[in-house]
Amino acid sequence: MINSLLTVGLAHFLVLSLILFLTGLFGVLISRNMLRTVMSLFIMSVSAVINFTAFGYYCDNSMENANMIGVFILILSVIQTIIALVILYKIYQANEYLDTEKIKDKEN
Amino acid sequence: MVTSLIYFYFLFFASITSALGVIFAPKMYLSALALFLFVCFSALIYLYLNSTYLSVFQFILCSMFLSLYIFLLLKKIGRLNLELRLAPVSKIVVSGVFVLLFGMLFILYFMQEFDSSLYSFFNVAVEKSFNSVNFKHYLYPLSLVGIFILVTTAVLRVFLDNSLAVEQQKENEESKS
Repeated sequence: MINSLLTVGLAHFLVLSLILFLTGLFGVLISRNMLRTVMSLFIMSVSAVINFTAFGYYCDNSMENANMIGVFILILSVIQTIIALVILYKIYQANEYLDTEKIKDKEN
Repeated sequence: MVTSLIYFYFLFFASITSALGVIFAPKMYLSALALFLFVCFSALIYLYLNSTYLSVFQFILCSMFLSLYIFLLLKKIGRLNLELRLAPVSKIVVSGVFVLLFGMLFILYFMQEFDSSLYSFFNVAVEKSFNSVNFKHYLYPLSLVGIFILVTTAVLRVFLDNSLAVEQQKENEESKS
């Protein structure tokens, strides 16, 4: 048990990325502020990229595949974050707040 | 060896703490700052895994561009000092249980995958593939990306529904006046 903790391997990075992924998911579920939801989504995407990089480093001889997929996911996640932020800005201009509960109440 | 181990565990706990900081920060600017730190720490993790290109790419794209964009947006709408609140306790508990179950499911999936039992299911498709050995190592992370895309789609749909409802409300008010 202690030996496995002292030797950094693939499992360590998978555990790290799993914890980050679950943290991001938890953030999406519990946050009331829309901006924080977007940030949590970004954490989820970064955890996926860490996973790819770890697999590339430990299982694949070259890092080319992992780098390529990682860059692709990063670009996609940044684009989706920016699109979400633009939508949020529009919502804010109309409502003056980004609280999901308040917006729901207003709709009702 | 020891330095590398300490460095890894430092990055491990720093990235998890900053991710938790994004979610539980009491003020908006602290949350944005935690995101910036998270991006920096994750870029260092890529560097630890010898992926310099990805590390530099993330540092430039996310910490220089995205975090700055978020800060500027917050400044523009004057919400840097906004107090953040979480969902009701009942929702937090239910979400916690759901996330725990989800984590256990993933650990089971992960362990099964390392026993190679799940690969037999994909073998039909993978064996004929030219790049089969490389591809099958990425099946597990690909499943994470799949879930990420599903969650993103759900969230963006909620956002769009909200913005459409707001626009409709505006149109109704204009037509009334």
